[in-house]
Amino acid sequence: MITCTGLSKHFGSIHAIDDFTVDIPTGQIFGLLGPNGAGKTTTMRMLCCLLRPTKGTAHIDSYDITKLADAHKIRGMIGFLPEVPGLYETLGAYQNLDYYAQFYNVPKPQRQESIKKTLDDLDLWNRRSEPVGGFSKGMKQKIAIARALIHDPPYLFLDEPTASLDPQAAKLVRDYILDLKTQGTTILINTHNLTEAERICDQVALIKNTLIKVGNPKHLEHSIFARTIAVTVDHIPPTLPQTITSLPGVTLNKIQDTTLYLSVKNPSDDNPRIIDWLSSQGIKITFITEEEHTLEDVYLKLLGTPQGG
Amino acid sequence: MAWHNTWTLTRKDLAEFRHQKLVLGSIIAMPLVLGVIMPLFMFYPLTSLAPTQPTWDVTGLQEYGTLPDTFTAPYTNHTQMNTQAHATTITNTTLIHMTLTNCVLISCIIQDSTLTNSTVAYSVLTESSCVDTILTTSQGTNLSGRHIIADHSDLTFIAIKPSETQLVFPTILNLILIIFIIIPATLPTIIASYSIVGEKNNRSLEPLLATPITDGELLTGKIFSSLIPSMGSTLLAFTLGVSLLDILLLPKIAMPLLPNLTWLLSMLVLAPTACLMSILGCIIVSSKVSDVRAAQQVGGFIVMPVVVLMLGVLSGFILLSPLTVLAFTGIYLGIDLVLFYFAKAIFNREEILTKWK
Repeated sequence: MITCTGLSKHFGSIHAIDDFTVDIPTGQIFGLLGPNGAGKTTTMRMLCCLLRPTKGTAHIDSYDITKLADAHKIRGMIGFLPEVPGLYETLGAYQNLDYYAQFYNVPKPQRQESIKKTLDDLDLWNRRSEPVGGFSKGMKQKIAIARALIHDPPYLFLDEPTASLDPQAAKLVRDYILDLKTQGTTILINTHNLTEAERICDQVALIKNTLIKVGNPKHLEHSIFARTIAVTVDHIPPTLPQTITSLPGVTLNKIQDTTLYLSVKNPSDDNPRIIDWLSSQGIKITFITEEEHTLEDVYLKLLGTPQGG
Repeated sequence: MAWHNTWTLTRKDLAEFRHQKLVLGSIIAMPLVLGVIMPLFMFYPLTSLAPTQPTWDVTGLQEYGTLPDTFTAPYTNHTQMNTQAHATTITNTTLIHMTLTNCVLISCIIQDSTLTNSTVAYSVLTESSCVDTILTTSQGTNLSGRHIIADHSDLTFIAIKPSETQLVFPTILNLILIIFIIIPATLPTIIASYSIVGEKNNRSLEPLLATPITDGELLTGKIFSSLIPSMGSTLLAFTLGVSLLDILLLPKIAMPLLPNLTWLLSMLVLAPTACLMSILGCIIVSSKVSDVRAAQQVGGFIVMPVVVLMLGVLSGFILLSPLTVLAFTGIYLGIDLVLFYFAKAIFNREEILTKWK
């Protein structure tokens, strides 16, 4: 479990992140979302014990990131993928992974087996000795992810893990992350990819130099936006906009062709009443569906600015 | 400190150096050129000027004619011992352990004495020192001194006046030895500058700092990864260079073979401490600047203590001996310790990650 309590980092007069307080339960995928300069990478670096907080603290299991002795232990139990892969470009993929495995004291037979399996999975075993400087960005990113996982860490910190990957490779990485979750790994992801965050994250935190909102993506959508249903009917009487207001808890948002967009407070109670009422008015329902809001809608509503890339 | 992490980092760096043409080229070329090729090309031609046998001579000796066959041992009828004589003419006397100034000595036997501004004729001298003295029709053995005019005499001296080349060669050899100390002090300015700045430029420092490696392990690993190739190539060049000197140069100038104790101590204790000093200086500089070339340029100043030694030796102010070498080793070691703790104290992960752009 990761517990952040008032975590803050100031660089002189610049407050990169202020008063960040969240709990990340073990085995969850937690997304940090926010525009450029919102403090996502700074927060991740503090949790990786690369930066010391100005105020507040965080605990990973029972270890305090502000204590020097604990920081050493924390570094041993985390895997970290920085924004740029940072591989040793003149060395081969095998050597890159092997040296890192040695820093984590992975025994030789285990690391040989693990590296072979990883490079086989990434379809790179036959190119294991080639300098990685000649590899594509996507391949480098995959090797960097493999490097972060080489010691089988219980906590994984990924800064933009799919940023430079093509759709197939990005899916491979997402599936890999979901697979790790099933094995109990706690994963913190910084991402600009809101669709990806919505798909894989159990919880997301929207930050802009401080915590704006935290929660499950679906819950966030529902808590911020009222549930909306789209009801397509055979005809719309001219008096309907006035008469439908007699239904308590139902608001007509708009009418588009023969589709009514209605906000409801409690779908399980309100939806049957809407259907009954329309039938009683002699209006035939041809199609009914829920109008979905996305995490992007939540993001734009809360943070106000479109994604900076 | 986990030596395992240190050694892993060192091996990683050494593996990287194998692919860095500049680093690899420097490791091979610099010791080879400075330590092997340059000394031979520069100094081998001088061997033709050096006599193979040492000359028996004293400073300012001028000889005219040889001792005539008719010369016989002088007749003496009394003896003077353990006293001084000034502006005196002495004849037919055996002089033992005398100090004679401005004297004229005729038909004397002179033993174990010192003669200054004097003239000696028809005499025999043994184990004496003559300064600004004229010897005529006399015989002398085991003499020493300077500025002697020998007219029809037969003199042998115990003092050796070395040839000009023999005077120069020890200085030249000292210069070669200094070069072997400068090589390991200079190589790290190329290798060690890559150590931290290179990691930063490759953006590989951030994931490395997120591993359980400590600051001490990281710095020590970086030290070894510069020390091993620098000292390794220097010792190889030293072995090759000294072997060639022993084969091609030294026998021609009648000098003892190398390495002697001074050279061995210089290579085994002084050179590593000079190398370490340079490495630590470069690491300190490279942890504060964000460009490899800047690190190399600033790192160049680190070899100043070695340059001081070089200038001292070349000017004759410092004589290279086992004691001098050990003294400088102690000084360098002290500087090394200070630099190591300073490097550790200023190594700031946060600054490196946030201020390097």
